[in-house]
Amino acid sequence: MATASKSSKRRLEIVENNENSAEVDDIIEAQVSDNADDSTDEESSEYSGLEDDEEDDSDDEEDNSDWEEGSDEDEEEGDEVHNMSTNEDSEDDTADDKVVPTAVPITQDGPSTSTAQLPAPPVEDEYAYDSSDEEDLRNTVGNIPMNWYDDYPHIGYDLEGKAILKPKRGDEIDNFLRKMENPESWRTVYDPQTGQDVILSNEDVDLIKNVMGSRIPDGSYNPYEPWVDWFTNEVMETPVTGRPEHKRSFIPSRVEAIKVGRMVHAIKMGWIKPRVAKDTSVERHKYYLLWNADDKSEDVRRIENPIPAPKPRLPGHAESYNPPPEYTFSEREINQWNRLAETPYQRKFPFIPKRFSSLRAVPAYDRFARERFVRCLDLYLCPRAKKMRLTIQPEDLVPQLPKPRDLQPFPTVCSMIFKGHKGLVRTISHDPSGQFFISGSDDQTLKVWEIATGRCFKTFEVKGTVRCVSWCPNASIALVAAAVDNNVYLINPGVGDRLVQAKTDEILKEMPAQTDYLIPQRVRAVLTWNEPDKAQWDSGFRVTLTHFKAVKHVAWHSKGDYFSSVMPEGDNRSVLIHQLSRRRSQLPFSKSKGLVQCTLFHPLRPYLFVATQRHVRVYNLLKQELTKKLMTGAKWISSIAVHPGGDNILVGTHDRRLCWFDLDLSTKPYQALRHHGQGIRAVAYHKRYPLFASGSDDCSAIVSHGMVYNDLLKNPTIVPLKKLRGHAKFDDFGVFDVLFHPTQPWLFTSGADATIRLYT
Amino acid sequence: MAALKRTLLNDEGQIQVRFVTKQEKYALPEAPFSIPSGIKADSLSVLVNNLLRETHESGWDEVDFDFLVCGEFVRLPLIEHLKLKDINTEVTVEVEYLERFPAPEPEDSLNHDDWVSASHCFKDWILTGCYDNTLHIWKTDGTHKSTIPGHCGPIKGVRWIEVTGSTATFASVSHDQTVMLWKMNLETYAIECVHIGRGHERSIECVDVDKNSSFLATGGWDNMLKIWSATSDSNSTNEIDDGEKEKGCSIGSGKSLRRTPLMTLPGHKEAISSVVWTENNEIFSSSWDHTIKLWDAELGGLKSEIVGNKSFFCISRSPLNQTLITASADRHIRLYDARSQEGSIVKATFTSHVGWVSTVCWSTTHERLFVSGGHDNILKLWDSRSPKAPLYDMTGHEGKILCADWSNPSIIISGATDNTLKIFKSEV
Repeated sequence: MATASKSSKRRLEIVENNENSAEVDDIIEAQVSDNADDSTDEESSEYSGLEDDEEDDSDDEEDNSDWEEGSDEDEEEGDEVHNMSTNEDSEDDTADDKVVPTAVPITQDGPSTSTAQLPAPPVEDEYAYDSSDEEDLRNTVGNIPMNWYDDYPHIGYDLEGKAILKPKRGDEIDNFLRKMENPESWRTVYDPQTGQDVILSNEDVDLIKNVMGSRIPDGSYNPYEPWVDWFTNEVMETPVTGRPEHKRSFIPSRVEAIKVGRMVHAIKMGWIKPRVAKDTSVERHKYYLLWNADDKSEDVRRIENPIPAPKPRLPGHAESYNPPPEYTFSEREINQWNRLAETPYQRKFPFIPKRFSSLRAVPAYDRFARERFVRCLDLYLCPRAKKMRLTIQPEDLVPQLPKPRDLQPFPTVCSMIFKGHKGLVRTISHDPSGQFFISGSDDQTLKVWEIATGRCFKTFEVKGTVRCVSWCPNASIALVAAAVDNNVYLINPGVGDRLVQAKTDEILKEMPAQTDYLIPQRVRAVLTWNEPDKAQWDSGFRVTLTHFKAVKHVAWHSKGDYFSSVMPEGDNRSVLIHQLSRRRSQLPFSKSKGLVQCTLFHPLRPYLFVATQRHVRVYNLLKQELTKKLMTGAKWISSIAVHPGGDNILVGTHDRRLCWFDLDLSTKPYQALRHHGQGIRAVAYHKRYPLFASGSDDCSAIVSHGMVYNDLLKNPTIVPLKKLRGHAKFDDFGVFDVLFHPTQPWLFTSGADATIRLYT
Repeated sequence: MAALKRTLLNDEGQIQVRFVTKQEKYALPEAPFSIPSGIKADSLSVLVNNLLRETHESGWDEVDFDFLVCGEFVRLPLIEHLKLKDINTEVTVEVEYLERFPAPEPEDSLNHDDWVSASHCFKDWILTGCYDNTLHIWKTDGTHKSTIPGHCGPIKGVRWIEVTGSTATFASVSHDQTVMLWKMNLETYAIECVHIGRGHERSIECVDVDKNSSFLATGGWDNMLKIWSATSDSNSTNEIDDGEKEKGCSIGSGKSLRRTPLMTLPGHKEAISSVVWTENNEIFSSSWDHTIKLWDAELGGLKSEIVGNKSFFCISRSPLNQTLITASADRHIRLYDARSQEGSIVKATFTSHVGWVSTVCWSTTHERLFVSGGHDNILKLWDSRSPKAPLYDMTGHEGKILCADWSNPSIIISGATDNTLKIFKSEV
């Protein structure tokens, strides 16, 4: 019985499917192939119903297929009939047929035809009505706007592909007349699918009324039926039945086990293929977030640190449809706008503001799509993450220098002013003990000063401008060398140790005998050693060296026996080295090296530093060769100073630069300081303290800390400390010479304003 | 009085003070007063005078008072002073008052031919040294008694050694590297060079004499401290035919008495700027090498050392409180206690000068008073309890002050580069 009913049911389904689609075979096949995995109750019941072998199944299928083929043909015929009838219906029964729902052709005619053909009528009750929502599609064009067929005589195609011709509608007058005449016109609706008028039944009208009134569409449904509580939700003290559960409710079903075993076997044998589970993890299109941060997930970032989207520029007056005249383009602006066609981003506006009489006159905006695109680009390319930018200030890159406060002592205030000269004070030099210093001035005098009180002790009159004075660094000789025009005077200053003064006089009284020595011709042409006359001797002059050109610089060797004099115009004879004890001189260079500015002796080793206009040459006096040539990079060197250790030299230049050379490092400046506003006139090192100073034409002297370490790996520390002002400008000259006290951290500066200042 | 004596009146602007004094004659009843907190020293003085007038029935002469709170003079409004000293203003503050030291009055200006670089006063005799190589003897009344040529370099230090009966001896040191011992007849002003001490290799900066007037200590630019005999008798002199006599240095007769140092104390690395001989036969010497050394004069050894951070130009030691004040190459005067074992701790710094301080000198009678002169042309009178401001500024000099002396308690003298020696009368 069960089998019979099932098969009939299946047939029925097939019939219905037949009606719906032409590809019946495919469906059947699909159903058959679905049999294996389709765990619908039909099949389980089928299995449970008959416990037979597999052949049964295969028979069944064969049966089905056979039967289906036959029914296929039947259906086609039926369909034709059915179509015909509907056509007739629509044409004829529009007026009189009262109960004509929209689905009339299917609900009434379709099943009736199929049932008529079906051999088993008992199932009619079960399927008396079609509960499916599917519409009977007579027209196969699908869900398209039907006005596409306005211009055609047909309205679509039926299931067989034949054109459905439009029924005759008549003109508006006909319609109107028909409407007037027909009392059912209020319930006549036009079916665009078929192009026919359909008269709604009373049920339909009620239905529509209910739907429109937001009521339950089915009028017969009573929403207020009394509630029958079949199964109480209350848990009762005692169950209705106290029967223990049956054994089979907890023993695994043997039948099912057999069934499962059979299916497993079938899978093993490859008869049925288990459906491959859809791999949901692999999406067909894999998208990933382009700007995802590595450290933090994007979701968290969006919450914690949201970055607002870039704001589009708001329209201004120029965007107005009626912009003020100042925003509209003048002739010149239009020209400019046109000129920037190549580089549109340079234009003032991306459009030309135009005036319109009213908003209605505004045409479509031709840049709309472009601007939207640009806006999308803006959003698309806007930063998604805040980039942590390293804020490196320029100051951070400067090495940490100690504070000047920690580098005391150094001179800071002007403590004393030595007044007395009447002209520029070009040069100063201190005595070895630090009690006195001597100054040379343009007023043709040399003055010896007591440092502690500021007293001018002695004044030496000379005939000419004093270019350079240098106190002999050897404490056992009281001598000052002064370069005055063409002469270098050796003067006994008459201060300090009386015994030393007397000894110096004694040494210089007698010219040593030059018996076995013949003065070379070259030297003789340049220089003569002259004895002073009595008056000169009494006033302190001991020896005069007369050169053939103006002497600009004299410098003592630290031992006090040798000294050098420089005549910048002397060409290849510009540098002379004199030996005091033997009264001999020599010209160390045979070739001109340029304008020699000054020479200095190395404090410890037999080296001579010769500063020409651009370079400083270091000569080894023993080997008589050039050891080094220091490149200052300057146009004009004005002065040099040698560190008491001898490995560092300072070079001051007229082009405002102060270069520190470390002779161990390179021939390029270790550091160049540009703190002066004008050319540097003089530089000096302190003998004991790590200080150096430079004096400049800008009337200031700068004291700097310059620590030289014994450790060869440690470079000197250079810290500018203090700018000392005070000198007045005179004839564009400021400070001429700077000099450190030999023992105290005090600085002397001599200036063009005829004063010497002491800073402590 | 009643108005002032509003005790327990805790207005905001009021401070309770109790006036105390160590001077009997100015004693006040011991009762706290409530006074405005912003009061200054001169108002306080008027207040105390008023109080004293009420206690003394028989008239009262106005007296200027100075006020000490926490050992320091009140120079600011009282409340600021208390704040500075971090004193609680809620409790009664003890204010000590004392008669203000009277202002020194300029008395005389003694003109010289050159800078006055050294001066010393003994009773009413003033000895000055000048940069024109001469010594001058003056009376305190301003009469010039004698001009003594003899040195052939600027005088850097002078010192009376002793004045007995009609003769006086004094010493002078000079740039010419000699220390000279002179004898003067106080009646005839006949002056005789007794000895010439040679031994220093460079200029001598300073001289001092011991308490028995038998030794001299000198220091100079040769970094040596030398001790000489100061006796004028010829026993200890070695008569030498002076072959080294130099021109311009002719002293009376052709022969001179040369003396050599008894002791030479090396140790300083730079010039000795000042020496002080204490009553305990010790010598303090200050130097440009930033140290003050204490020497034992008998044994000739170094006893202790104070290291500063500036070179010292002058020191002075008070015989009353045994402390040292120093003048350095900056504008500060520093007070050291040489007896302390803690090392070189500056007890107080007195700052008011605007230039180098070249000279300092303690009072011989007041425990806390000293004078200082500097390159800013001002002579200042200080009380050691008032480090921020001096008691008095004594102006008048038009050049750098090079020397100052207060050996005679009644006069302060100072010599400067304006070629004058100024005498200020200080009431005692």
